[in-house]
Amino acid sequence: MVTILFAIALVLYLGASGTLAVSFADGRGSAPRAPAALIGFGMAIHAAALIAYTARYAELPLVGLAPSLSTLAFLITAFLFVTSLTETRPVGIVLVPLISILLAVALIIGIAPSGEPIAFGGIWFSFHVLLAFIGYAALSVAFAAGLLYLLQFRELKDKRLGRIFQFLPSLPALDSLGRRALVVGFPALTIALGLGWAWTVRFRGTLAPTNPQVIWGVITWLTFAALFAVRLTGARNVQRRAALANVVGFLIVLVSYLALRLFAAGGQVFL
Amino acid sequence: MPLAVVGISHRTAPLEVRERFVIDAQASAAALRRLAAIGFTEAVLLSTCNRTELYMRAPSAQPDAGLIGVRFLSDHAGIPETDADRYLYTLHDDGAVEHLFRVVSSLDSMIIGEAQIQGQVKAAYEHAVETNNGDFIVGPVLSRLFETALRVGGRVRSETKLGAGAASVPSASIELARKIFGNLHGRSALVLGAGEMSELTIECLRGDGVHDIMVANRTAARAEEVARRLNARAIAVEDMPRLLGTVDIVASATSAPHAVLTSAMVERALGSGRRTPLLILDIALPRDVEREVGELPNVFLYDIDDLSQIVEGNLERRRSEIALAEQIIQEGIHEFQAWHRARNVVPLIRQMRGRAEELREAETARTLRSLRHLSPSDRVAIENLTRQLLNKVLHSPTARLREAAADGREEEITQAARYLFGLDNGSGTEDDNGEG
Repeated sequence: MVTILFAIALVLYLGASGTLAVSFADGRGSAPRAPAALIGFGMAIHAAALIAYTARYAELPLVGLAPSLSTLAFLITAFLFVTSLTETRPVGIVLVPLISILLAVALIIGIAPSGEPIAFGGIWFSFHVLLAFIGYAALSVAFAAGLLYLLQFRELKDKRLGRIFQFLPSLPALDSLGRRALVVGFPALTIALGLGWAWTVRFRGTLAPTNPQVIWGVITWLTFAALFAVRLTGARNVQRRAALANVVGFLIVLVSYLALRLFAAGGQVFL
Repeated sequence: MPLAVVGISHRTAPLEVRERFVIDAQASAAALRRLAAIGFTEAVLLSTCNRTELYMRAPSAQPDAGLIGVRFLSDHAGIPETDADRYLYTLHDDGAVEHLFRVVSSLDSMIIGEAQIQGQVKAAYEHAVETNNGDFIVGPVLSRLFETALRVGGRVRSETKLGAGAASVPSASIELARKIFGNLHGRSALVLGAGEMSELTIECLRGDGVHDIMVANRTAARAEEVARRLNARAIAVEDMPRLLGTVDIVASATSAPHAVLTSAMVERALGSGRRTPLLILDIALPRDVEREVGELPNVFLYDIDDLSQIVEGNLERRRSEIALAEQIIQEGIHEFQAWHRARNVVPLIRQMRGRAEELREAETARTLRSLRHLSPSDRVAIENLTRQLLNKVLHSPTARLREAAADGREEEITQAARYLFGLDNGSGTEDDNGEG
């Protein structure tokens, strides 16, 4: 039942991806509202799947790669659903495929408890992971907004003004979305890391600085800080630099995750 | 279907002729009443800057509604009928229907896909409805025609890309500005030059919410005059380099033979502290702005060729949608024709029901005479029973008659019905019935 619900959500997300792709290829102008409905339904089913998972396994879907990916996908969808009600809904053309990939990978692995032991549990652990995921979801939104900003900027500068120009929202709308994502994501990640640090120190007596999870968390936090720093510079084209930074920052976090998982994580629980 | 349209448009007459035919809202009400007095059953007047058209429906007895319409418009314009005839067109029945559907869908507009015409047709129709005094102006046929037309226009706009993208240089400029700045409310602009193009640009910017517009011109008096008229602010040409860095949009339309804005000038004006983009619209020939300006960071430069290319690309995309729009129009025409044909059997239906009602009344009365012992409520119950029975029996033939007429089998089915119900060749016409 749990898997079926996740699969239905995936189908709806794929449907939304297809609708967005068609409206982009159609050249009609900004993205229509139809995908928002599919995303909304997908999100509702996805939420039901997460609740069903919690009920069935008596734990939140926050431990193990597949459950974590499904939760992360859900949080990105929640961000996207909010944007889909505004001018910036075309960011779905980047985010919906990303959500679909995350959920598809989770389904392929099998969304079930991993059975791996965890260092600490309870409500604080749940807060720590959930807030961290909100940070990563916000970073994904900032990435999508930044990528589309750069595309729209290039269209305008090169005077191409074709389908991409018609489809994408205005530069300030994309910039504002990227900024709001950082404003939500950075504090969430900071609190998540603070909670993680406090509990690690309490249980283990040390921060374990070589732990891949800790390294990744610090890399992500530093990336967020750098993204904020870029926005605070007085450069003439600060918005474009911020968009570029959002894209590069997301890629740094993604590459560092893959590198740490492949080369440093060993058998430890690590998203 | 004694329906006709007489009109003049940008396709048949130059502006100086068209403007003589314009009928404003106030004059329109009086004109509609005059038409009713002449004997038209229904009329709607559409008058825009590109067309004046009179849609009318005359009684069947009216010899040529078109001729009367031509006379009416010629009189209004103060042009002899023989001269006006060169510019006026007249279309009857299905031709008039198709014309209105093409007009409302903007296929007959100067710029295909323009959005205003839908609202203009709606306003003309509503104005005629408001002028209605119960006996004339807008009745069932024009009402159905215009409502179908507005629905067709709405479908064309929502189901095709006929209205997508800017279709003029000023609107293309605004489209670009919106993508760069988002909402233009509260933005500022500097317009260089005070000619016709500058005035158009100021009007467009103002219309989109740009609040502070400055005008600089070599002849200061001319800048002041334009600024006063268009609610802008005149500035001295010498102040222009300093103010460049403070505005969001610069539109240059001077007649200077050399570059008015150089790369060095813009770079200096922007300095290092500016964080918002600068949009420069060079709409002058020869160009006012050095090409290198477009390479500066955060500066978006477009010349008249760039803007024209945007417009041409959009218009090309619009033209590729015409076939789809025509298909929707044809569907609308078929829908209206089917409704109109179904109306033609209304006199027959009325005759059929009248005959049946006569029989019912006679037979019920005869029966009730022999049942004198019945109470008044029983008598009413019997009356109701026979009435309901009659309605049920006639419901199916009535519906089938309407359907068959709508399908174009009006003549065949009418003859059959007359034969079966023993009716004579009734003299009722569609003009006589008021059924919608």
